[in-house]
Amino acid sequence: MTTTDACLHPYPDGNSSLRRMALEAGALGFDSIVVPDAPPQEYFGVRVIPAILIAELNPRVISGLIRANGQKQPLVMVNAGENGFNREILNLKGIHILRQVHKTRKNSFDHVSARLAAERGVAVDIDLSPIIHSSGLSRQRVMQRYNDLVTLFNRYRFSLTLSSNACSILDLRSVEEICLLCGLFSLEEDDVREGLGTAGSLLDQKGPVTVVT
Amino acid sequence: MKPLPPTLRRKKRYMLATMDPPGIEPDPRELYHVISESVTSLYGDGKAAAIGLSVISAQANQVIFRYTRGYDKEVRTALATVTDMADQRIALRAKVTSGTLHALRRKLPRKTDTEPGLSEVEYHGRTYCARRYHGQKVDLLEKGIKRQELLYITQDDLEES
Repeated sequence: MTTTDACLHPYPDGNSSLRRMALEAGALGFDSIVVPDAPPQEYFGVRVIPAILIAELNPRVISGLIRANGQKQPLVMVNAGENGFNREILNLKGIHILRQVHKTRKNSFDHVSARLAAERGVAVDIDLSPIIHSSGLSRQRVMQRYNDLVTLFNRYRFSLTLSSNACSILDLRSVEEICLLCGLFSLEEDDVREGLGTAGSLLDQKGPVTVVT
Repeated sequence: MKPLPPTLRRKKRYMLATMDPPGIEPDPRELYHVISESVTSLYGDGKAAAIGLSVISAQANQVIFRYTRGYDKEVRTALATVTDMADQRIALRAKVTSGTLHALRRKLPRKTDTEPGLSEVEYHGRTYCARRYHGQKVDLLEKGIKRQELLYITQDDLEES
């Protein structure tokens, strides 16, 4: 099983080069990293998984972007939105990860969305950067959202991914540290390790067999 | 005053953490405030008092903490949420824990040598002061007076640019 940080932002978005990020991630216990708009590469034994990050609010536009990108087959990550939007997105083909659920309104990702995510094999991303970087009320709100998400996860067992959203090598956290941080919102260590393995396996998923005559 | 007998003393643990980026000379008092704020923010005053965290030493990029036995998880989690100290971005990585300071000092990892002297390099059309260490790692600090950009790259990136 792979151990993947599901979203990093190297230079020029951040202050660390892709190679340096890979080097540091390897030292912290990861064997792959997901990087938006990066070519598929391997540095210092760490696999770079390319991804496209979609922050659109119109499902039609998202559908078009996925179709336009169809042949390249990177990991497709879409920012979550309102309840109806999330349900529509989860029904689209070609989406791998629904991210930034903590930024949406409470109940925008509900039991129906959770069941859909489980059925469609779409992973939900847990972004650890607000847990690491913020404090006080804003961190408490994010923890509450993640607690709700973990409750739904325990019931419907959809896939989870975990990301540090690091823009610098100083924002990266080790696998053990991620386990401890996830403990703050009651995510079990086994589930964390499973979640760290999800992003690496999402692209390898085999679809239903189609008979060509 | 007669000291407390050992059986009545509170059991302590010692933890060694490394501080990134290397080259910062941390002020132990400043570091203590940053970490205790992080512990309090995560666990509240009650638990922070029970943890009883203190900074024993902070030299080069190695920091030694003391805390009450049984709170390893809490201390490690709190260290993972430390992101800056005195307007400088840092990361603390817990390395070793031990029951005595003597045993911890025996377990200290060897100090990594930074190449003596900083060299000047050009990267993407700008002039930086480069610090090379650990073989591939290169830290670049932009030359200037205000808002100096700090970049973390590798030797390969430098050769490619």
